[in-house]
Amino acid sequence: MTIVGERFRRTDGEPKARGEAIFGVDYLPQGTIHAVLLRSPVPSGRIVGLDVSAAKAMPGVRAVISAADVPDTRAGWVLREQPLFARDRVRYEGEPVAGIAADTLEQAREARDTIRLEIEETPAVVDLDYALSEDSPVLHPEWESYVPTLGEYPRGRNVAAECISDPEGVEEAFEAAERIIEDEYRVQRQYQAYIEPKGAVAIYQGGRYEVHTAHQFPFNVRDRIAQYLDIRPSQVRVIGHTIGGGFGAKLDASIEPHACALSRAAGGLPVKIVNTRTEDMITCPSREDAITRIRTGLDKDGNMIARELVVIAGNGAYSGEMPWLASIALHCARGVYRAGPTRVKSFLVYTNTAPTGAFRGVNGVYLYHAVERHMDHIASVLGRDRREYRLQHLFEPGEVLLNDQVLDDAGILGEAFDAVEEAAPWEERLAATAGPMKGVAIGAAWWVTNPMPGTATVKLNEDGTIGVITAATDNGSGAVNLGITQIVAEKLGVQPEDVYVTMPDTDAAGFDAGSQGSRTTRIVGKAASIASDEVIGKIKQTASELLEAAPSDIVIADGKVFVAGSPDSGLTLGDVAMAATWSVGPIQGTGSFLTPFPDFNPGCATGLMFPSFPTPTYHVHLAEVEVDPVTGAVKVTRYVVAQEVGKVISPNGVYGQVSGGVTQGIGYALYESLRIGEDGRYQERNLENYRLPLAVDIPRVEFSPLEHPDPDGPFGAKGVGENSVLLGAAVIANAVVDAIGVPIDRLPITPEVVLKAIAAKHSAAVA
Amino acid sequence: MSSGISFAVNGRGVTAQIDGAATLLDVIRNDLGLTGTKEGCTEGECGACTVLIDGKPVHSCIYPAVSVDGHSVVTIEGISDGETGRAVQEAFWDAGGIQCGFCTPGFIVTVAALLENNPAPSEDEVRIALAGNICRCTGYSQILDAVEVVVSGKERA
Repeated sequence: MTIVGERFRRTDGEPKARGEAIFGVDYLPQGTIHAVLLRSPVPSGRIVGLDVSAAKAMPGVRAVISAADVPDTRAGWVLREQPLFARDRVRYEGEPVAGIAADTLEQAREARDTIRLEIEETPAVVDLDYALSEDSPVLHPEWESYVPTLGEYPRGRNVAAECISDPEGVEEAFEAAERIIEDEYRVQRQYQAYIEPKGAVAIYQGGRYEVHTAHQFPFNVRDRIAQYLDIRPSQVRVIGHTIGGGFGAKLDASIEPHACALSRAAGGLPVKIVNTRTEDMITCPSREDAITRIRTGLDKDGNMIARELVVIAGNGAYSGEMPWLASIALHCARGVYRAGPTRVKSFLVYTNTAPTGAFRGVNGVYLYHAVERHMDHIASVLGRDRREYRLQHLFEPGEVLLNDQVLDDAGILGEAFDAVEEAAPWEERLAATAGPMKGVAIGAAWWVTNPMPGTATVKLNEDGTIGVITAATDNGSGAVNLGITQIVAEKLGVQPEDVYVTMPDTDAAGFDAGSQGSRTTRIVGKAASIASDEVIGKIKQTASELLEAAPSDIVIADGKVFVAGSPDSGLTLGDVAMAATWSVGPIQGTGSFLTPFPDFNPGCATGLMFPSFPTPTYHVHLAEVEVDPVTGAVKVTRYVVAQEVGKVISPNGVYGQVSGGVTQGIGYALYESLRIGEDGRYQERNLENYRLPLAVDIPRVEFSPLEHPDPDGPFGAKGVGENSVLLGAAVIANAVVDAIGVPIDRLPITPEVVLKAIAAKHSAAVA
Repeated sequence: MSSGISFAVNGRGVTAQIDGAATLLDVIRNDLGLTGTKEGCTEGECGACTVLIDGKPVHSCIYPAVSVDGHSVVTIEGISDGETGRAVQEAFWDAGGIQCGFCTPGFIVTVAALLENNPAPSEDEVRIALAGNICRCTGYSQILDAVEVVVSGKERA
């Protein structure tokens, strides 16, 4: 192979480096007018008055709309529960109440200021335990009338979804235990903090809506708009633009449906909406807040023989895709360690806060934080070496999981521990961090590669270049501009610079399930690979007639087509394309692909919406930290990753994903916190007080890719993008605890948290 | 209140009638149509809007446009006019320092300014110089690689 596995420049890199790339927020067609939303200033209340008449009379105003002006629909990815504009009640701060479009942004803002909105505030449900209790007011009294999009699932009152697995033998195992170790971990929300705020341009024309947006999942935007506006999905055309980051937050529609409704109300003028940073932050589907309660029974030798994990996670006021993800707790409840019979209860609860959503490593980051913190706790109680204790309980090849999924390749976990050991020998690192205020920790995980479907059409152009038509999106990861590009270039014997991939357009390309769960390189790469095979067959057929040889003797390499053994007397790909076009017709091929879910036992749990983990990958991370006892600041001094990738398609791309994911994990562990105040409003409301990792904070990540090619993946590729974020909180928290000798059971571990913990230790010592 | 200002953008003279409250970013993006400079936060935090004024990097989203009267502004579109700027652009692309690319113009402008003043910074100096620019994708490693490539004048191995 000359292209796959080699280092290339991403094909969209030059316009990005030169400032020429047109991102979603840069797109501005002729005649565009600008819109803003009036959002609820309070998290919970009844709308008792809404007067927009003054706004309609303001200069430049083209349209003012609210619930009264749009179909009385409810939309949602998993559950149809959310109105386009709040109708009678507001359920979170920032919920859209009205939309205003005007010739200029300033005019739209000035008109918004004249709208009289009266809300009778009602008590906000904020606390997760309270939301779950019978005492809390129900956010959606009409919850029973809401229609699930893909079948009913367990929900009710303030429980947006639940997944419960309570197999036989758990209680008996706990009763047989010599001792039981219990922990509770609390985490705040994390904002995806892509640097490009959300924005869209919508144009209503000829009974259809054309939507321009920088989005991870254009088909999802199409479907959501259709639900809200009560039209057929094919009446919406979503055209993708260069995405300034997403990390999960741009997987569902946000302001696109509002822009559509406003364009229609404004007589079809293009309407542009762009979130301000504060709007973006307070309404973003951030990573959910959660409480995880975990307990483990140990036998007299310290072996884990019983486990219970209960997690309560914040859904916010509406569900998005969250109900699907509640069952991930079942897949992560033991991490990658045997723990005996295991009970898992996962509750997703409504609160009067912004709807939460997908963020890289969905649910996994805090579940692994809980499991791995708990593992260190157990090891410390037992006086056992933390690495050794993990290895003793590590999943083995053929491991049967709680849902009866079988992990034939779980032996890769041991290889990953070995790879980290080679880079950072545990005994040596323990010695190196033995001093005060230094710590080290190790942890492990497994994860899914999103299996959802995709498709690609590959065409051979008459100049010998290759076009790939797909709705797959490159959220920045390089999955399209390195991954798919290198796969197609390798297959067709051309250089990556001779391959281009179209931007998504839901009118033109087949369904694609979006850039999520590391799926694009694997799923769409495979679809493009299948499509390339069809193209190769047609090239060989055409060339065999031109070169008077059997198709099986035709070789395609280096942009040429020739008879095996005679590379100098062949044709160019362009020659073949031209000949085919004017004889049998243009050469192109199409491929589609998805990964089936691995076998599982549907009776193992209720609410098992994410039933098993297709194309699993395995991960071991090690972190070292230094704590400044005066300021409380934690510095990550070393970070080592061993990760199963199947096959490295693009070394630049893979390392970029690992380094970027680890950095988001470090941010989650140490800095980033979207705190919900008692009033239900976020306390962090801009990037000044929402602290993101900077260049001064992050070590260079040491990385060992493990390659066990997957027979179904393109050149063996498995998912790479998402999973490097999984263990940052786990290993950094454990390393900090190792450094200061005091347990810390919440995230993020800010300087204040560290100083408080150290002070508590000292006062305990004095007492 | 509007006022007239004259300044240079990427070496060309510009005369503009601007609103007194306009930021330099507003003028660059909306009046001059130079959309390479990005608006990420409008709070001076993310650095995506970084441009050079008389060779010094500033966050144009919080910089009053009236203050550039008589000064020289270089945006990402003008960075490639200089040898250092071109080398930095090339190195970011080559080293994998670009993912989504939204922060990239700000980073490239910042690095170009740094290397004009200090052609051989240490890695710590580079990290500190980049403290006003946020990248959410890369984890900074390949950005540091890119700077190293320019500093050493070598292709990355």
